[in-house]
Amino acid sequence: MNRFAVKGIFWRNYLDWAVVNLPFYFYPVPLTFFTIFFFFFAAPARRAIVANLAVVLPGSSRAANHFRAFRVLYNFAWTISEAAIYRLLHEEFSYEIAGAKWLEELGGAPGAIVLTAHMGSYDLGAALFAEKFHREIRVVRAPEPHRESAEHLSASLEGTGETGVKVDYNTAGALLSFDLLKALRDGEIVSIQGDRVEGEVAQISARLFGSEAKMPNGPFVLGLVTQTPIYPLFITRTGCRRYRIIVCEPIRLHPSGNRETDIGRGVADWCTVLEEIVAGHWDQWFAFTPLFAR
Amino acid sequence: MNEPRFYFALPRLLSKMRGGNTSRAETNATEAWLVGTGIYGVSYLYFAGYLSAISSWWLFGLLLVVLAFGVCLFWLLMFYLNSLILKLLHRVYLFRTIPIRRGQSVLLVTVGTAMAAALLQRGSFVSEIGAIWLTATAMNLVAAAILAFSNGEPARQ
Repeated sequence: MNRFAVKGIFWRNYLDWAVVNLPFYFYPVPLTFFTIFFFFFAAPARRAIVANLAVVLPGSSRAANHFRAFRVLYNFAWTISEAAIYRLLHEEFSYEIAGAKWLEELGGAPGAIVLTAHMGSYDLGAALFAEKFHREIRVVRAPEPHRESAEHLSASLEGTGETGVKVDYNTAGALLSFDLLKALRDGEIVSIQGDRVEGEVAQISARLFGSEAKMPNGPFVLGLVTQTPIYPLFITRTGCRRYRIIVCEPIRLHPSGNRETDIGRGVADWCTVLEEIVAGHWDQWFAFTPLFAR
Repeated sequence: MNEPRFYFALPRLLSKMRGGNTSRAETNATEAWLVGTGIYGVSYLYFAGYLSAISSWWLFGLLLVVLAFGVCLFWLLMFYLNSLILKLLHRVYLFRTIPIRRGQSVLLVTVGTAMAAALLQRGSFVSEIGAIWLTATAMNLVAAAILAFSNGEPARQ
């Protein structure tokens, strides 16, 4: 039955099949119906979206946030479908860049951390980046609950950017940290999702939208130790097969002698950027787990 | 870059008449919504016609809601069966140059048009919707022919 769970392999395989078989103009129909289906059957995700939106949009009503949750799930359906279209059909996509200066700098950086959020099509973004700059990018993701889904996701991500994207799973233990440390010192680009903590990874308390939230401290430790800049980068969907890549001014952590303070400062800077982006694109923030402390 | 591009022949022909781009693109959300909901609407009305014999209003209303999902499932099942047929045809070296999605598109529009033709027989506003669908389909076919002859390119490009 795991295959049919919300995060099970069945739905991923079905999406791949639908992308190859359905005419593009029919997509709105099944995507609307699958959004309705998952709105009811992915209840924990729906509840998490509603709870997160209550913090992001203070004063919003619970009923209205349920409609907003539907919108988030609907956007998610389009986003993952278009990522599959890009991967399987190699169809044309257009994108615009906000913060081109920072993106160029990132493209030429000798080692950098890309700090991103579960927003828009981060998978597509990694592939586009690798393609544009002909650079390898290591994407660190939270582990998938189902083995087959994890394998499918890795294969599809690594296939999306041909050889440009490599996926690492963020599990407890120090092995990955050393890997990433070495990668950064070798001049590679490492992309980490920094808007939520899943599993037993190192974390730090931060203030986001005036509430306490746990953030992964790994990216900041890596940035501090390797002295590589941390580029906040977000990919938002602006229309049918149209995306916007938003790159912000990098966060640079300078050692002051107090590691906790340095990391705390970096996390606070990240939270400021994240707040600004999420406030403007809450309908594309795919935060399907509760992020804020009660 | 911001010039609108279309998938269907009719808007591509209109675009050409205004000096625009005629190359086919799957990037127009308005087109997708219009045609996708059009096909869905026609098939929904077609199946809903079989429920009109139900005298109980609450049962009729309930079945209309269930039908909304049933029609979606119907199409997904049709796509699946058609994919098997297309695979079989490809295996015997028939229509190998036609991409799967184009083959599916032919099925979708053919079945949708057959349903629209059936709606014409029913009277009331439903027949108007059937007529609109048939007219739009005919105009699109004519536009495809004009584009093919004027460009010297196959309509599917």
